[in-house]
Amino acid sequence: MENNISFRNFKNYFFKAIILLLTAVSVVPLMLILYYIVRQGISAINWDFFVNLPKPVGEIGGGIFNAIIGSIIIIFLASLIAIPIGVSIGIYLSENSKSRISYFSRLSVDVLQGIPSIVLGIIIYLWFVKPFGGFSAISGSIALSLIMLPSIIKSTEETLKLIPNSLKEASLALGVPFYKTILRVIIPAGFSGILSGIILGIARISGETAPLLFTSFGNPFTSYNVLKPMSSIPLIIFNYATSPYEDWHRLAWGASFILIIFILFLNILTKLTEKKWKVQF
Amino acid sequence: MTHLDTELQLLKKSLIEMFALVIHQMNKAKEAVAKFDKDLASDVDINEKRVNVYELKIDRDCENILALYNPVAIDLRLVLASLKINYNLERIGDYAQGIALIVKDAKRPFDKELFSKTKVLDMFYTSIVIMNDAMEAFETENHHLARTIFTKDEKLDEINRKANYSISELIINKPEEIQQCLNILSVIRKLERVGDQTKNIAEEIIFYTEAKVLKHRTKKKEK
Amino acid sequence: MESSVLKSENFNAWFGSAQVLKDVSIEITRNQVTAVMGPSGCGKTTFIRCINRMHELTHDASVSGKILFDDTDVYKISPILLRRKIGMVFQQPNPFPTMSIYQNIIAGYTLNGISLTKIQKDDVVEQSLVKTSLWDEVKDNLHKKGTFLSGGQQQRLCIARSIAMKPEILLLDEPTSALDPISTSKIEELLYELKKQYTIIIVTHNMQQAGRISDKTAFFYIGELIEYGKTKDIFTNPKHERTQNYITGRFG
Repeated sequence: MENNISFRNFKNYFFKAIILLLTAVSVVPLMLILYYIVRQGISAINWDFFVNLPKPVGEIGGGIFNAIIGSIIIIFLASLIAIPIGVSIGIYLSENSKSRISYFSRLSVDVLQGIPSIVLGIIIYLWFVKPFGGFSAISGSIALSLIMLPSIIKSTEETLKLIPNSLKEASLALGVPFYKTILRVIIPAGFSGILSGIILGIARISGETAPLLFTSFGNPFTSYNVLKPMSSIPLIIFNYATSPYEDWHRLAWGASFILIIFILFLNILTKLTEKKWKVQF
Repeated sequence: MTHLDTELQLLKKSLIEMFALVIHQMNKAKEAVAKFDKDLASDVDINEKRVNVYELKIDRDCENILALYNPVAIDLRLVLASLKINYNLERIGDYAQGIALIVKDAKRPFDKELFSKTKVLDMFYTSIVIMNDAMEAFETENHHLARTIFTKDEKLDEINRKANYSISELIINKPEEIQQCLNILSVIRKLERVGDQTKNIAEEIIFYTEAKVLKHRTKKKEK
Repeated sequence: MESSVLKSENFNAWFGSAQVLKDVSIEITRNQVTAVMGPSGCGKTTFIRCINRMHELTHDASVSGKILFDDTDVYKISPILLRRKIGMVFQQPNPFPTMSIYQNIIAGYTLNGISLTKIQKDDVVEQSLVKTSLWDEVKDNLHKKGTFLSGGQQQRLCIARSIAMKPEILLLDEPTSALDPISTSKIEELLYELKKQYTIIIVTHNMQQAGRISDKTAFFYIGELIEYGKTKDIFTNPKHERTQNYITGRFG
């Protein structure tokens, strides 16, 4: 009897040890990557880095100002397109879970989620870049918005599904029309979940490179014109890292570092949002 | 105050009104006997209907309270006690009517000697006193007062016991008065039963206020 | 003087092809509490949800027959306007979680775009909370969220929110099933008071509750109205055997 118990204790202990080991195995590389990027990138960070344009080949110094501006503009536009459409579709799906249209919509969203981002880039190239005669930031935004959509749609739908039906009924029973009920009662109640979905969507597209290759293409100068090519952070990481110039490598590390910090920040923001806006039912 | 409280208050109020009515009937019956007032006697006879109306109403109210509110503890005891007190009061009302009918049918006034030898007016007086005590005890939930009724009732029992002897004596001395003597004997018997019913009411009041059951105890234990 | 405020005539309701209400004809008396009871699945909740036309919000729901509210067919007026005259309180207390207590009470006005002056709003809030005996408990915390109240208080808040719209009829769907006995009795006392101003129809599966607070009771069984009458009569001497069996607990 005693033997049995001590053997079972050992099994318990052993199992726990294995789990800890496996966790370490998955966390450690992540930590190493982050550490490496920080170490490589931090040396590039200075005021110049943020404020200046890249210098021509051969010259030391320069920054990624155009890429930062470009990323901001492209991401902003992509959000502007994806958020209203995504949230609306999410609302529709949560309200009509059983109709044929919903079934096909959900199927389409799943498929869209699975399409490789480079393929999306090529498609947008064919639909927007070629007909309109040139690369543009807006086509980059369109491509990115397609990548953002599934995440926003799904998180909106899931959040709204979790809201108890009684809330909707309480509003309708007061004589409030359906659309107002959705806009002023249901969406505010699900705000935290929807916002988290949006922030995660933004985090997702911040690092997308492939689609931008075919759409916004890149620009060595700072541009504010959305109908023309525009630089962005993932693009310059791609261009500079694959170049033979030492200095450009430095810039690439710096840009990677910025990007990682940004995505880390967004993830933390998501957690804070959920906590702050979380609604108790 | 809850809905149930309101209903119980109304129930008590109805019972007290019935109490007052029955006591009034008894008072009138007493006067009718003492003064040989046939009009008063008719009055009692007619008003017996009102007593019956109260009985039916209180029965229905108790049934409704039990069905709708499922009272427990003291509330339940109040309703159960009310049902029985209702019955007791109705019986007392019947006795008052019976006494009044005796007066109505009597051909001649009663002899004063009849009253003094049998002490029938004392009986009337005592029975009305204990009825008033009972009404007050019920209204104020005073079980001490209720208990005093037992001792006072003994006086009624005593007069009743001696009645046979005093009445027979009277009949022997004045045979022509036999009708009246027998009438007074009837009245005495009825008054003794009024005392009994009032004693029952007192037992119900004690049950209601103290949850003690005093029925069927031997005389020794009754306190 | 009893007058009827709501009448149903040969009313039927379906979910898809399943008929949930069969030929229900009933007259509800003004300023009284009418209890609607019966075993699970008898259609009692469906019936009151048809009165304020919440039934049709379910996919596949359909009805036939008439329900007349003050002699107007409810299916011929706008459901939005109807629901402002017939309020509803649900089983689970459901104050709007993103709004404060104050905002919850006047939600019926603000969400409907009916504008009131600050004084009017304060007035509505205070009156509604006083009528539901909540005023003293929350008057210092009107701008806190409603979800911090206890279950019983939340439910009273929901009742206050409904009566803020000054409806004629108040429908309640098992409003105390989710509450503890003390909150339940507070709400029962509240309904007893409210009936002076409103007509109250309450669905309950708790027979003692129906006995305690209602003036009239309607007994439903598998979609049919079996018996309807004064609560006193139904509880002391029901006319139908099914009613008696249900009340005495001999089935369902």
